[in-house]
Amino acid sequence: MKSDRILGAVTLAVAIAMGALASQFQAPFSYEPIGPARYPILLAILIGACGAWLLVKPGPPAPWPGGALLRKVVLMFAALIGYALVFEPLGFMVATALLTFALGLLFDGTWKRVLVGGLLLGPGLYILFDRLLDVVLPLGTLWAFR
Amino acid sequence: MSTLTHLGSGFAVALAPMNLAVAAIGCFIGTVVGMLPGLGPINGVAILLPLAFALKLPPETALILLAAVYIGCEYGGRISSILINVPGDAGAIMTAIDGNPMAKKGLAGVALSISAWSSFVGSIIATVGIVLFAPLLANWALAFGPAEYFALIVFAFCCLTGMIGDRPIKTALATLIGLALASVGIDANSGVYRFTFDSVHLADGIQFIVVVIGLFSVSEILLMLEQTHAGETVVKSTGRMMFNLKEMAETWWGTIRSSVIGFVIGVLPGAGATIASAVTYMTEKKLTDTEGTFGKGDIRGVAAPEAANNSAAGGAFVPMLTLGVPGSGTTAVMMGALTLYNINPGPLLFDQQPKVVWGLIASMFIANVILLVMNIPMIRIFTRMLAVPNWLLVPGIAAVSVVGVYAVHATTFDLLLMTAIGIVGYVLRKMDFPMAPLILAFVLGDMMEQNLRRALSISNGDVAVLFESGISIGFWVLSIAMLVGPRLYRRFRPKALAAA
Repeated sequence: MKSDRILGAVTLAVAIAMGALASQFQAPFSYEPIGPARYPILLAILIGACGAWLLVKPGPPAPWPGGALLRKVVLMFAALIGYALVFEPLGFMVATALLTFALGLLFDGTWKRVLVGGLLLGPGLYILFDRLLDVVLPLGTLWAFR
Repeated sequence: MSTLTHLGSGFAVALAPMNLAVAAIGCFIGTVVGMLPGLGPINGVAILLPLAFALKLPPETALILLAAVYIGCEYGGRISSILINVPGDAGAIMTAIDGNPMAKKGLAGVALSISAWSSFVGSIIATVGIVLFAPLLANWALAFGPAEYFALIVFAFCCLTGMIGDRPIKTALATLIGLALASVGIDANSGVYRFTFDSVHLADGIQFIVVVIGLFSVSEILLMLEQTHAGETVVKSTGRMMFNLKEMAETWWGTIRSSVIGFVIGVLPGAGATIASAVTYMTEKKLTDTEGTFGKGDIRGVAAPEAANNSAAGGAFVPMLTLGVPGSGTTAVMMGALTLYNINPGPLLFDQQPKVVWGLIASMFIANVILLVMNIPMIRIFTRMLAVPNWLLVPGIAAVSVVGVYAVHATTFDLLLMTAIGIVGYVLRKMDFPMAPLILAFVLGDMMEQNLRRALSISNGDVAVLFESGISIGFWVLSIAMLVGPRLYRRFRPKALAAA
């Protein structure tokens, strides 16, 4: 199965859903000949057409990573989503230290170096942004202090 | 001579200590980002934009920072091209062809200094070009109505579709995805909630910063996982650091020619530094390469593309500042930055925000002087930084990006949306979808819809209004030419070229 085909099918489905949603947009009062619905419907039609084209005439398959690399990419997805989820509960310092361990290992850092990197980067960036540059960052809602 | 007066007041803005410091910081960061393979100007500008906003920098200062980063990247890309034969950014691809052989001959120092010099010349010529032509273009654009604007935006998209990527259908789809993302949120004209799925977080639309960071930071570091530059060795011995007068004379006219060509290419929407450096390298090869030394470490082959990519970067500011329609991904991000400050670029910008425009232009002159100093006498600081390992660099980029996004609204929702957009962006990029049209469409989406609806309101729904004035007809004709032209050229070009 060519990846272009799958994408084409997904695009077509999204376009249909988009068109269906958009056709329900109705302005309570209308001041102009073109309401809020026409333009998104036009976009949905064009997107659908592109999707159909990809479905019918797919290009050469994309070079997806396989094996160990694929595992790394998936782990990195997980690490980034995890970072977003623990950012507020654990706070910037802890979350960033954990992220540095995870990503560092994925990028072939050794255990020792990554550990040191994380312990420096977390608090270091916190001091730089929160204390010096006045960008407020979370300390962590899980911890008792503050 | 009101231009000179304005420029003078611009220098007053640019020379304020804060702006001067920000320009120097931007130059430094830009050179580093440009030098690091995998990160280019759009990533640098994207990562710094939310920070500039979070630090509550005034608009002119924020823009000066981003512009300095942009120009700095065009300087920095050459360093890794020359020393490790891996272009630091797309504009520096051509520089590697002669730059790395020069370095292997023991002339790395000369290659670095002459390319810094030609970058400087290119950039200064482009900035003078902005001063001369931007006010004229802005004046002309004052006559644009909604129909003309709509046609102009379509023209910008067609340029990208015609020029970028091998499959126009994917560029078109990327553009449409950008337009669709831009339509999320409350419709300004009717107050209807569109595609918000009853989420408070989406009522305002998808935040520009979230999209930019997702596409150009998160997806970039995912791609970096796959790029290993094994087998490339850093050229250690740099030899003589400074070029001599003979070498300067040898490259002089090529540098000037390339700067002018680069500026013109930069002004056109769609074509940017990458195309400019390729075109000028080929031009110089044809014009001056009588002994077949290009590709084997010819100094003229280093100077020309570097002059061109810098002047193209300067040229790219012209449509953004004068028409409010950026021609490249990087200038699209900068325009997004301006709209965050509620400043709408366009022909009126020169009248309404002289401080921002002229401050920016003046600071571009200053940034180039700073960059010349950083890139010749202080070059060793940067070459050492090529050794920063990815296991530290990548988490750093990720954390700084998240700080920027979090600073805007302080919600986990934005962080998750950013990650999701990054993952989708990664998948699309793996499938050869270009990201510049997507971000350009996202920035211009609202403007496109508003102008279309305004034009149709005036005509009471008659579509013919879009094809009435000479200017809009001109844009429509050019749009079709841009879509069809490159494909016809590919089909009918001489066989010899196709084989090369």
